[in-house]
Amino acid sequence: MSDGRGSLAERVLGGPVLWSGLVLLTAFALAPFVWVFLTSLKTRAELYATPLQYLPGAITVANYVDAWTSKLTPFSRFFANSLWVSSVTMVATTAISILAGYALARFRFGGRQVILLVFLATQMFPAVLLIAPLLSQWYALGLIDTYQALIYSNFSFTVPFTVWMLVGYFDSIPRELEESALIDGCGRFAALLRVVLPLAAPGIAATAIFAFVTSWSELLFAITFTTQTEMRTLSAGLLFMVGQYEIQWGQLSAGVMISTVPVAILFTYLQRHLIRGLSAGALKG
Amino acid sequence: MASSPASVAVELPRPLLSRRARELATGYLYLLPVAICLGGTIVFPILKAMHMSLYNHVLIKPQEYRFIGLGNYLRLLHDETFWLTLWNSMVWVFGSVIFQFLGGFAAALLLHQSFRGRAFVRTVTLLPWIVPGVVVALVWEWLYQPNYGVINDVLLRLGWLTDRVAWLSNPALAMPAVVATNVWRGVPFFAIMLLAGLQAIPDELYEAARVDGASVTERFWHITLPLLRPIIVVATATRIIWTFNYADLIFVMTSGGPANATQITSTYTLLMAYSNLDFGYAATLSVVLLVIMMLFTVLYLRVTRGIESAT
Repeated sequence: MSDGRGSLAERVLGGPVLWSGLVLLTAFALAPFVWVFLTSLKTRAELYATPLQYLPGAITVANYVDAWTSKLTPFSRFFANSLWVSSVTMVATTAISILAGYALARFRFGGRQVILLVFLATQMFPAVLLIAPLLSQWYALGLIDTYQALIYSNFSFTVPFTVWMLVGYFDSIPRELEESALIDGCGRFAALLRVVLPLAAPGIAATAIFAFVTSWSELLFAITFTTQTEMRTLSAGLLFMVGQYEIQWGQLSAGVMISTVPVAILFTYLQRHLIRGLSAGALKG
Repeated sequence: MASSPASVAVELPRPLLSRRARELATGYLYLLPVAICLGGTIVFPILKAMHMSLYNHVLIKPQEYRFIGLGNYLRLLHDETFWLTLWNSMVWVFGSVIFQFLGGFAAALLLHQSFRGRAFVRTVTLLPWIVPGVVVALVWEWLYQPNYGVINDVLLRLGWLTDRVAWLSNPALAMPAVVATNVWRGVPFFAIMLLAGLQAIPDELYEAARVDGASVTERFWHITLPLLRPIIVVATATRIIWTFNYADLIFVMTSGGPANATQITSTYTLLMAYSNLDFGYAATLSVVLLVIMMLFTVLYLRVTRGIESAT
């Protein structure tokens, strides 16, 4: 018997408290980005004006053009590097993880539980733990300043997560569907390709994008395993921009926007899957 | 159990291997790529770190490369900076996680209400968490900037400050400043985890309590909190581990300075490898990190297992 009126406390909570809370929450999350966006549109004089000038006078995209074409910190090159490293990581991770996820979901071999547990534990591993040994490993293999070093290193954090997620997706697909295909004379691989993959496609797409986005954001491997400007990814490029003799905050803000927008868009799409995966992945095990 | 076509009347040629053996072989074959890839990027590097930790191995001093047994571990025991980083890690982890949790819980309760534009607010709330770590670090470095940063400017205009403050280069303020940044970054994580938990609580429970005359606060304490407990425990445990490992933010904002005021164990390990090129000692720190992580993980698994068997 809900009469829709509620007590005084409920009406205050549902009205003024809710709305001021939402305004606060939005401002809390958004204000720093708004400030950097405004910074990226300001001229040098406006940036370093006293007293501080909050809004740009005449909006200029000079910072974006400068960052994109700069000789010292060429963001066009960083962008291309990030795009390549993240794309290859994504495709390779997805292929490896589909096979592994399918095997773990379908074949009941010994040690399956242990393997799953290892995948879960691996997600807790800090990247810094791997820096020294991987650096000396890539050094010995002559892979410093190559895309391979970055892509292989990225596997260490993308693969455990995607395998873990895909096991869950494959588990949720009824076995009967592929078993009829198997009886009809399909091989295991054909059954996986024709029956399971189309059904798991949304989940696979989500995990693939996840691999892309985490590689895109990766910083520590990117700065440790590359030394040349033209091999830097966006994250590494941003950091090296700070290392210059004087920080160009206008250009840097433009660079920040360039690095942020693609992941923000992809994540908006991912949201639904991500929440499901996070709570499922975290609760199992 | 797979439905086996054993009773099919047609005579089949007897295969070389039994069906089960072939299935197992296929299974292991499918696991081969993942084994190679994680073997090469996780297992082998970890073994290598253990090996490296027994050597004096500084990249720029190759003539001093030699086996020193547990020498690096002895050095660690007497390294005051290492013990300082453990303490700093505690401050960093608990400072960050407690406020992330409180902020995230408040945000989740807000986002659970129905209002117009909810999808928009929810996406916006996620932003701090989804952008690259280096972006968060640089954005906040700019906000904290002593002369042109907006934080000083606003506080001066409000009259809460009389002088400009160098947030990141003042030893007393640097840790609170990086923790605040990490809180901003981590609130969305708790918000979406707890929101998922809130949405799983059946509305009927609240309706029934309302009929029985329970107030808002009573419903919160007796329905919301107890039912959220499992997800709170899991999210907090995960977050503690992640935060302990998380080096990017501090590395970019302060590099552990000023005077190691913000140096946590993971940034210290990173600097030993990245700046000092002291691979032997960095590997030793990695092994210690690994042991700490394993303890955390065992604890985590116990806690989550406990929850699963309880529910």
